[in-house]
Amino acid sequence: MTDTIFDFNGSKSAGWSQPPPLTDDSISQIPESLRRNSLPEWPRASEPELVRHYTKLSQKNFGIDTGFYPLGSCTMKHNPRLNEKIVQNPGIDRIHPLQPEAQVQGLLAIYYEMQEMLAICSGMDTVTLQPVAGAQGEFTAIRCIQEFHRERGEGHRDKVIVPDSAHGTNPASASMCGYQIIEIPSAKDGRIDLDALRSAVGEDTAAMMITNPSTLGVFEPEIAEATEIVHSAGGQMYYDGANFNAILGKTDPGRMGFDAVHYNLHKTFSQPHGGGGPGSGPIGVKEHLSKFLPTPLVGRKELPSDESGTVGDGFWYHWVSPEQSIGKVQQWNGNAGAVVRAWAFYRRYGRDLERMSEHAVLNANYLRHRIMNPNPELNIHAMPIEGCPADVVKHEFTLSMSPLKELTGVSGKDVAKRLLDFGYMAPTLYFPQIVPECLMFEPTETESKEVLDKFAEDFHAILAEDPEVVLTAPHTTPVGRVDEVWAARNLILRYPKDEHSS
Amino acid sequence: MDQLPNLGREQEMLDIMGVSSMEDLFEDIPAAIRSEGPLPLPPPQSEEEILRDAEKLLGANVNLDSRPSFISAGLARNFVPSMVPMIATRGEFLTSYTPYQPEVSQGMLQAMWEFQTMISELVGLPISNVSMYDASTSAAEAITCAVRVKSKKVEMPNTVYVSELVPPHRMSVIENYTQGVGIEIRKIPHNEDGFLDLEAASGAAGSCAIYVEQPNAFGILDEGLLRLRDTVGEKTAIIVGVDVTSLGLVEPPGNWGADIVVGEGQPFGIGPTAGGPIYGIFACKKDFLRLMPGRIVGQSIDTAGKTAYTLTLSTREQHIRRHRATSNICSNETLIALMGAMHMALLGPVGLETLSTRILSSTRMAIDELSSLEGLEFAFPKSPVFREFAVKVPGKSSEALSHIFELGVIGGFDISQWWPEKESWILIGCDERTSESDISSLKKSLSSWVEASS
Repeated sequence: MTDTIFDFNGSKSAGWSQPPPLTDDSISQIPESLRRNSLPEWPRASEPELVRHYTKLSQKNFGIDTGFYPLGSCTMKHNPRLNEKIVQNPGIDRIHPLQPEAQVQGLLAIYYEMQEMLAICSGMDTVTLQPVAGAQGEFTAIRCIQEFHRERGEGHRDKVIVPDSAHGTNPASASMCGYQIIEIPSAKDGRIDLDALRSAVGEDTAAMMITNPSTLGVFEPEIAEATEIVHSAGGQMYYDGANFNAILGKTDPGRMGFDAVHYNLHKTFSQPHGGGGPGSGPIGVKEHLSKFLPTPLVGRKELPSDESGTVGDGFWYHWVSPEQSIGKVQQWNGNAGAVVRAWAFYRRYGRDLERMSEHAVLNANYLRHRIMNPNPELNIHAMPIEGCPADVVKHEFTLSMSPLKELTGVSGKDVAKRLLDFGYMAPTLYFPQIVPECLMFEPTETESKEVLDKFAEDFHAILAEDPEVVLTAPHTTPVGRVDEVWAARNLILRYPKDEHSS
Repeated sequence: MDQLPNLGREQEMLDIMGVSSMEDLFEDIPAAIRSEGPLPLPPPQSEEEILRDAEKLLGANVNLDSRPSFISAGLARNFVPSMVPMIATRGEFLTSYTPYQPEVSQGMLQAMWEFQTMISELVGLPISNVSMYDASTSAAEAITCAVRVKSKKVEMPNTVYVSELVPPHRMSVIENYTQGVGIEIRKIPHNEDGFLDLEAASGAAGSCAIYVEQPNAFGILDEGLLRLRDTVGEKTAIIVGVDVTSLGLVEPPGNWGADIVVGEGQPFGIGPTAGGPIYGIFACKKDFLRLMPGRIVGQSIDTAGKTAYTLTLSTREQHIRRHRATSNICSNETLIALMGAMHMALLGPVGLETLSTRILSSTRMAIDELSSLEGLEFAFPKSPVFREFAVKVPGKSSEALSHIFELGVIGGFDISQWWPEKESWILIGCDERTSESDISSLKKSLSSWVEASS
């Protein structure tokens, strides 16, 4: 185990060197009772030690750069390095969100272009880039829907419908707005059950939240009927854009009848996931919801001629406040750095964004085919069952490992852990919960055929090998299987204070 | 299109699957909702072309390093050590996601456990999560967390008191996060010196929580807050928003009774970045642990008894608890928190004290220099401040700032954008990079405005 950063014994570094303060006696400005008595017990280490510490830690961390990362629902595609280079530009890194419009015309122009592009791709009328994660986008859109109902004197609508296959963030976000959640069961094939939906809607329905393709990776062919049912009851339709990578350019939530949608720039538009974040979760809405969006949006007006400080395209970009805005959901203007990265990514495809989705879908169907058609000479204990029987899937698919578990005791989790030994990140485990022993695979468009072939081959090898080896996996990772119960029982959530030596 | 390894190999893959065309892969989308024709967007660009456009657009922005700059208002024009972006953006960190598989995520997990420790030490509380989106969502979720913990134990359930000097954009986030779940927010006034009105604050006794900021929106360090615990009693949660860089000199709120400490982590780790990605810190006492938002890393052991790290207490979170979760947060700001951890580790305790002293000193020098300027009035001349202070100029602050900008200085923030009645107020922010010559440029340009408007 790597020593923790607090274990560099003997190092008495006074810290990374800084210029001296401008004056000597500033501490006298702080009332004595307010002065800190003892400094925090932070590490005392030099730069060489820290570079090595963090490099060692990075070597024990798996990213897309390390290997295939088929984590379903998370769209772990390659992160182009151009985007990282661009955000080092002082024109974004050294910008304050409260600078006047005249000082940030370039940033506003990028915001405007992204608002327009996302509106076009989703069939929505107005887009805000402020929400900083998909879950925050959901929350923001439900807040707008809440104000929409209140304005119409229908504030009594207090229920939000979600399918049982929905991402957990959907019910959590609606609940934070004060809504009661009605969870409707999926049909036997995992698709939306229109009868269940019909009996769930009513005068108390505020909205339905759904993703399409569903979390099973299949397109909901009856989506237009579903939106009709909800709209007839007076509810609004919310599109969870987590799975947008599957349909870009092929269809859009506007055509499906949705009123609001969020996009995950960290999924579809390749903002790096960074070990858990940052994300970016802009939302788009139809005209009737536009006036409730968070403030500000970016607008533009034509200029007679190029003036200094403009970007030279004949427009002046400016902030606009929607007339009945819900206010702010993030203190500033969203994750601008993520927006700029996503802008650079979108520019790479332009009108051909459709090719991206085609290849995401091609790769998912190809991998599914490879996995479900093993070499018959292999001695596989038990093949998985498809989470949803369908001729084609979209960008991801689910498999139930139940047959293997029944026969050998090897669970979906065991298979996931064994995959780590082969140099892969595990697929999403045990989600959606409606598929028993579920593994969810999303290869993304940035994996080659050879990677997919090899993965299927290794997956089959696991299904055929001695169950004992799988049950005790992983074997080659920096640590063995980690005891999560031990962690929850002992709750060691920081370096122990009393053992500190420096 | 250089991002697609299988471009040109589609048919080969389709043949293996027994599918005749790419179009067949989308046959499940009903014709009635299919898009017609290509997206009305410009043609694809190469890396070179995109970079050229990016440099042109971003070059049109006025960056804070290009001239003396005094705008802060909750974000810092900081100096980030070179190591931080270089090492934090190693691909293994940058391109990973939430460490659901701890066996291959020990690096980020350990780094976040160390981050939790450093935040805990910084603010004087035992528990920290691995980040919220920003200071405003940290504050908002601290309030909803405190209500969950306290509502059944206090006389005023669902009631929270908040300082009236919480800036409106932060307040707006708090309102959005609290309005639906029936939390009533009551404002506490400040007195003429900018200090919290402790008599009014005593009304918060029996409520779920009180939220104050130290320093407050005008940079004021309020000694009276040391008496806040006595003022509100034992049952009401005290939530404090901090400037993290002040804590090398200023007593951490955990030492004077705070139950939850929140704040903007950005000064450690990343530039102001036009407002994001940045990260919020969230630290608390043990009583709040099981109802707090966000991811938490715990130490554990592997099957061989070896020390290992893993996400813990996940049953609070949305992917398990769904609508009963303590928060909807999923993606957070881990990578930026990692940058923060590296920055804090490089500083060390002594470096932190130096950094705080530098910020305090430049603030002091700016005040001293400007105090000789006739026509300029300090809004709170007697109150101790850190990083920021408010001045009143002749005329309108927006016009003054435009004038100053013409003279090559970003002079501060126009407070009337937050509080319209303060139409002549400017919030001047200093930092570790403020130089004597910056201050002299600010003085000259302000002096020019005073003359021009007299």
